[in-house]
Amino acid sequence: MTTLQTQIPDQLIQQAQYLVQQGWVANIDDLIAEAMRRYLESHREAMTEQFIREDVDWGLHGQD
Amino acid sequence: MGRTNPIVIADAGPIIHLDELGYLNLLADFDEVLVPEAVWLEVERHRPLALKAVKDWLVRQPLGQHSAVVSALTPLYSLHAGEQEALHLCVEFGDCLLLTDDTAARLAAKSLNIAAHGTLGVLIRAIRRQRLTKVEVLALLDAVPKQTTLHVRPALLREVIANVEANAD
Repeated sequence: MTTLQTQIPDQLIQQAQYLVQQGWVANIDDLIAEAMRRYLESHREAMTEQFIREDVDWGLHGQD
Repeated sequence: MGRTNPIVIADAGPIIHLDELGYLNLLADFDEVLVPEAVWLEVERHRPLALKAVKDWLVRQPLGQHSAVVSALTPLYSLHAGEQEALHLCVEFGDCLLLTDDTAARLAAKSLNIAAHGTLGVLIRAIRRQRLTKVEVLALLDAVPKQTTLHVRPALLREVIANVEANAD
């Protein structure tokens, strides 16, 4: 596992802690990992397209 | 033009897709391309003939060291065996170029500061490297949806083709 150090707005972390207290998720670590998973899933198509554009730029103008 | 010499490590996607187009030999423009064991087996499953002929620039590479960071990223990005091995090798060898068409693998590579590009990049690079003409590459890009299992949204592919038409020498 990788340890992340990050700054999160107070209101956001309070909402997250509330969900943990209510038992929706085991702890903050699991909540953040789940949030990241959902973000990555929901943005995958946009990222795929961004990578293809980067490929075109590399293909046309790269140095290697 | 001479060959280039970054350490190139390939995931299955670009090998399969270039083979589907009949242009796997574009990878010969690199000094050698390391193919992780799990990727080799995956390519053999999907394109049994692709790796049959001896190609000295394709090197079957057993996995050496495991990277703890790659192992940590594996569940986060749902990386498959081939992608994991490719990333482990990139970390082991250092300054590498990863060839992959998988978004999750590219995201993981980005977080590890590993350069990564895919099949379309390799095709377009062939113009810059004077391996193929612009006309030839435009025809290959046009053939991607019909001849390959690489999925590119049609409007995006049209944008790519227009970009190459306008900007490639």
